[in-house]
Amino acid sequence: MIIKGLTATLFVLCLLIGTTAAAVEPLTPMETIRERIDQIIELLNDPEGADPDLRAAQRVKLWEIASPMFDFEEISRRTVGPKWQEFSDGEKTRFTEVFTKFLSNTYIDRIQGEYQNEKIEYLQERVREPLALVRTKLVRESAAMPIDYRLRLTDGQWKIYDILVENGVSITQNYRVQFQSILQKETPEDLIQRLESRLEEQEQSRVQR
Amino acid sequence: MKRMPLLAFLFAAATAGLLAGCASPRPDAIPPSVEMQSKPVPKPEILVAGLEPVAMTSEIALLPDDDWDWEDDQMEDFYIVADPLEPFNRAMFVFNDKLYFWVLKPVAQGYRAVVPRPARTGVRNFFTNLGAPVRIVNNILQGKGQAAEAEVARFLYNTTVGVLGFGNPARHNPGLNPDSADLGQTLGRYGIGDGFYLVWPVLGPSTLRDSVGRFGDGWLYPSNYIEPVEGALAAHALDSINTTSFHIGDYESLKAAALDPYQSLRDAYIQLRQAKIKR
Repeated sequence: MIIKGLTATLFVLCLLIGTTAAAVEPLTPMETIRERIDQIIELLNDPEGADPDLRAAQRVKLWEIASPMFDFEEISRRTVGPKWQEFSDGEKTRFTEVFTKFLSNTYIDRIQGEYQNEKIEYLQERVREPLALVRTKLVRESAAMPIDYRLRLTDGQWKIYDILVENGVSITQNYRVQFQSILQKETPEDLIQRLESRLEEQEQSRVQR
Repeated sequence: MKRMPLLAFLFAAATAGLLAGCASPRPDAIPPSVEMQSKPVPKPEILVAGLEPVAMTSEIALLPDDDWDWEDDQMEDFYIVADPLEPFNRAMFVFNDKLYFWVLKPVAQGYRAVVPRPARTGVRNFFTNLGAPVRIVNNILQGKGQAAEAEVARFLYNTTVGVLGFGNPARHNPGLNPDSADLGQTLGRYGIGDGFYLVWPVLGPSTLRDSVGRFGDGWLYPSNYIEPVEGALAAHALDSINTTSFHIGDYESLKAAALDPYQSLRDAYIQLRQAKIKR
C-alpha cells in the first residue's frame, strides 16, 4: 500500500518535474553518447556556423555540449600513466586543466573545420559495470571509420575515458607514449609548460585564420 | 623524386579523363561505405590509409567479450616496438612530411579539383580489386578460409559485374567484405615479432617484419609486373594520389593533435598493426 502510494507520488513527481526526473533513470552508455553527438551534429548543420563571426560562439556551444561526456581527470591520469603518482596535487590539477583545453581546442577545431555531413552509426553497446564500450561508425562521404568509446560509470553517469579509432588505436595510449618519453627526461612542470606553449600556438594560428 | 609524382600526375590526369567519361553516368554513386586497400600504401598517413574492409556485423558477432581489455588499470603495459634507428627514422619522417606537403598534397588537391568523385572512387575500387590476390593468399596462410572465399567471390563479382573492378557492387553484401590481410599480418599471427620500427622514404611507417611482408606481397601485386618499370611506378603513384585525394586533412589533424608527431604516428601505426593481427 505504502509502496503503491509512493509509486503514485513518484509518478506524479515525474510528470511534474518532467525532464529533470528523467535523469533519475541514468542513460545507458550508448544513449549518453548519442544524445550529445546528435546535438553536436545539429549544431554543426546550423548554417550559422559558417559565418566567421559566429564561429567563436559556436565553439563555446560545442564545448558545452561535448565536455560533460568526458571524464578529463581519468583521461589525464591514463595518458600520463604510472608517473601520475609523481605529480603533486597542484600539478595534477594544472595538467588536467591544460590538457583538457588542449584536447578541446584540437578536436573542436577539427570537427568544426571538417564537418561534411558525416553520419554516425551506433553499432553496439557492451556493459560490464563500471565499464562500457560503445562501438560506432563514422560514415564519411569517402569511407567509413570505426570509432569506439570506452566509458566508465562515475557518480551515476557514464563518461568517456578513451576513444579507439580503426578498431583498436587508442587515443589515450597515443598520448601516453608521447608523454612518457617526455617525462623520462623532464619534470611534470616541463610537460605542463610544453602543453601550454602548444595551446598558445593553437590560439595564434586560429587568430590568423 | 620530383619527377615521378609529376609524371604520375600526367598519367593520372590522362587516365582520370578516360575514367570520368565512363564513370560519370553514375552520378549518384553512393559513397562506398567500407572499402580501402591493404596493399602497399605510400605516404606518411598510415592511420588513414590503413582503413580497410570491415564487415561490421560479422566482426561484432565474432568478437568475444574477452577480447576486450576490461582491465581497468592497465597503466603500465602496452605494446611498444623498439626504435633503435630513431635518428634515421626521424629524418625519413621529416622527408615524408615534406614530400606530403610539398608534392603529394598539392598534386592530390589538383587531382581532386579536376577529377570528379565517381571517377576517383572508381580508381580506388580498381586498385583495391587488384589487391585481391594478396588478400586471398594471406587469408589462406592465416587459416581464414571463409575470408579467403569471400575475397575470391568479391574479386570475381567486382571484376565482372563491377567492370574490371572499377565498380564495387560487392559492398552491399556484408559477407563479401572481410577484413583485409597481408603478409606482415600473417607473419605476426605466426608469432614473428615486429623487430624494430622503420620509416621508409615515400612508403612511410613500417617495421622490420612488415617490410619483409610488403616485399613478399609485392610479388602478388599485379601492377608491379607492368613493363617498363616507369609504368608500374606511375600506377603506384596514381594509386597514392587517388587515395590521398580522399584523405586530405587527415595527416594534418594527426599532426595538430600531437605533441610529438613522429611518436604519435609511430604509435598509431604499431597499434593499428597489432589490432589487425589480433583480429
